[in-house]
Amino acid sequence: MSNKFLSNEEGSSPKFFWYSAIFWLVIGMGAGLLGALEFSFPDLTKGVEQLSFTRLRPAHVNTVAFGWLSMANIGSALFIIPALCKTKLFSEKLANFTCYVWNFVIGAGFISLLNGYTEGREYAEYREPFDILVLVGLALLSYNLFRTVLTRNVKKLYVSVWYIMGAFFWMPLVYLVGNRTFVAMDGLNDGILNWFYGHNILGMWFTVLGVGIAYYMVPKMTGRPVWSHSLSMFGFWTIAFFYAPTGTHHLLQSPVPEWLKALAVIFSAALLIPVISVLVNFYMSMKGSWWMLTTNMPLRFVLTGAFWYFITCIQGPFQAMRGVNWYIHFTQWVVGHAHVALLGTFTFFVIGAMYYGLQRLTGRRIYSVRLVKWHYWLLLVGFTLFFFSLTIAGLQQAVGWALAYPVAQWSLTLVPMWMVRSIGGTMMFASSCLFAYNIFMTMRENSITPKDQLDIAVPVEEGK
Amino acid sequence: MSDNKKIGARGYVLPALVVIFSFSLIYIVVVLIPDMTMVKIHPSEYAMEYVQKDEKGEILRDDKGIPVPNAAGRGRKVYIKEGCFYCHSQFVRPQDRDFGSRVYAGDYANETPNILGTSRTGPDLSNEGQKLPDAWHIGHLRDPRAYTPGSIMPSFSFLGDEDMSDLVEYIQSLGQKRFEDPKNRQIYEAYYPEADTAFWKKSEHHKPNVDSAAAANAGAGIFRQNCAVCHGTNGLGNGPNALAMAKKPANFSEPFYKSYSDKTWYYRVAEGVPGTRMPRWKLKLAPEQMWYLVAYLKTLPQEKEVIIEKFQTINDKDWEDQSSLPQRLVDTYENISRMKDNGTYKSNPGGEIEGVAGGH
Repeated sequence: MSNKFLSNEEGSSPKFFWYSAIFWLVIGMGAGLLGALEFSFPDLTKGVEQLSFTRLRPAHVNTVAFGWLSMANIGSALFIIPALCKTKLFSEKLANFTCYVWNFVIGAGFISLLNGYTEGREYAEYREPFDILVLVGLALLSYNLFRTVLTRNVKKLYVSVWYIMGAFFWMPLVYLVGNRTFVAMDGLNDGILNWFYGHNILGMWFTVLGVGIAYYMVPKMTGRPVWSHSLSMFGFWTIAFFYAPTGTHHLLQSPVPEWLKALAVIFSAALLIPVISVLVNFYMSMKGSWWMLTTNMPLRFVLTGAFWYFITCIQGPFQAMRGVNWYIHFTQWVVGHAHVALLGTFTFFVIGAMYYGLQRLTGRRIYSVRLVKWHYWLLLVGFTLFFFSLTIAGLQQAVGWALAYPVAQWSLTLVPMWMVRSIGGTMMFASSCLFAYNIFMTMRENSITPKDQLDIAVPVEEGK
Repeated sequence: MSDNKKIGARGYVLPALVVIFSFSLIYIVVVLIPDMTMVKIHPSEYAMEYVQKDEKGEILRDDKGIPVPNAAGRGRKVYIKEGCFYCHSQFVRPQDRDFGSRVYAGDYANETPNILGTSRTGPDLSNEGQKLPDAWHIGHLRDPRAYTPGSIMPSFSFLGDEDMSDLVEYIQSLGQKRFEDPKNRQIYEAYYPEADTAFWKKSEHHKPNVDSAAAANAGAGIFRQNCAVCHGTNGLGNGPNALAMAKKPANFSEPFYKSYSDKTWYYRVAEGVPGTRMPRWKLKLAPEQMWYLVAYLKTLPQEKEVIIEKFQTINDKDWEDQSSLPQRLVDTYENISRMKDNGTYKSNPGGEIEGVAGGH
């Protein structure tokens, strides 16, 4: 029994994490889509408290952030670290057990958030019991991965290992501090800490994991080495130093101390340094391999992610500048920006990694290449619509707030934007369903393809 | 680890220490230091109180030692549970207009968890208390589009009577202390009629002859388009919107208004009346239009106050007689009478504030 439910088979834990992640992607995106539809049809779920927008929003955010993206990233880390260390994972059983814990947290957390059992702090809505379980899960994963790295069979650590190890060092601390389960703080300090946490789960978790995964995937998929190792390490150290103090740029016009705001703004601007070094490295590594984008769908996902990474990381420091923030704070553009980072960049990275990794772990060719293409284009076009509608809506709102017109006078001008957003959201939700269906059918397939034939992940000619 | 001791962590101890040290440093600077420096800021005079106190001012605690929340405190919990803060911010920024006084660090002393908010899909609520009656809030929470057409606020009709009454209590308490402080009511200095400021110079540039009949005539049209919905067609404060307002619009027949100079009229029109629904018309009207309005307002008879006994009243009794009321208003009314029966309804906590609407 224990072998069936707690498999010790090599590669079982990344698969378990990835399959769970896809399930939570569909659930979390569904909740987000329903919430978006309620902007256009506010009385859609009238009278059902569990489905009112304000309950759906935390359920959506936490499910896609912790259920989908975190689990998909963890699965990739569990896939990449043993591969880069040329060793087995320290304990597959432990990792599988962690996945059960994590799935329980996401499932129970989703239901409890829908029922209003919330802590009321953005990104940290899970209540105390779930916080403790998340921390247990993170501690077990960190232990597992650090032990794996210590027993490695290669001397030098590749940059992806640095990033992933960094993430598994920072995230437990950020989560522990940020959820301040047992420490009650007063008013504004609570807000400062809220954004220290809120921004650092992006910076010290999703970004470092996502970039680490992309640093592994780009050279692997193109078969060429990374352009510059020293530049990649430069990116790691600058992210480590510059990212953590930026959270206060969410509170720039609030009465927090001025020096703290100045610190946040300066470090936000400094983030351009790691971002540009990472992107230069990606694009230079692609030199001579750009043709592969036409046939290699996983690579196309990763490189599209790198494109959105450019957008989000130019936009982020720009929005954090005092003069710009003055105008666009509180608007939907910020919501759009957050989605470019988590959905545009890191989701695209990790989907590429999953298509690449699942074929290798299962030894099966993907069920349908056509569905992969549909997945790519629906997600890309849907997300583009989504992003631009939120940007435009945000700029309209910015005018409204800046000129202090009553909301009722300009809220109707946003109606088309909410509609376009729902259309984009529907396309993205459909693409996720196709993704889940495709992976499910791949799981059921019996024929095993030899490993060497999976090298060019999805050749166009052989697609169904 | 045993068979691989040769590799292990050798050569990576220093970088690992750098990572640990740098993160600890950042944590101390960004989280611990602000907390330590700001904790010295005491709750300000405007800090809201969410706990019950006995006669000596001691906080009441239950048997577990947890302070007992008052109605506003319970309402705040409902506000958080229902996620109101996802769309309504509670921090007035220096550049914000029409949301009342700014909020400072000490005002947030009792606000845990913080509900500063990150997104404004609806208006800021820092100073929302007492602007509209309880009945409006209850109806609006149950059916937002019946009260503000085009609103995309979700309906909270699923809230129980107890929660609804606590939530309204909380909304009505927002910014109340700040508003009651006279020094927050005006920003008069910049517009002081005798001051020779750039503001006046600019408006004088557009000033028509405010004593002319032609200007008053032009002003009458502007008045009917913009002001009559609240102030009534003859400026008696009995327009249809006045029905649903906690602070009634000004009645211009009061002899008090004889004391208004041209510039005072202009100031009042331009800046609105803080704490009421009177908007800052300078955001919508041009200086020239506001001067026309002044010309018209001066012509209204201010010798003898005309008291309007009845608006088209929103009185409970009259509602019963109106068989043609839309169903949702009937629902709201039934809900209010049920709350009255079980004692959870209070009309206008804090009572009427006299004279504010007139701008005295």
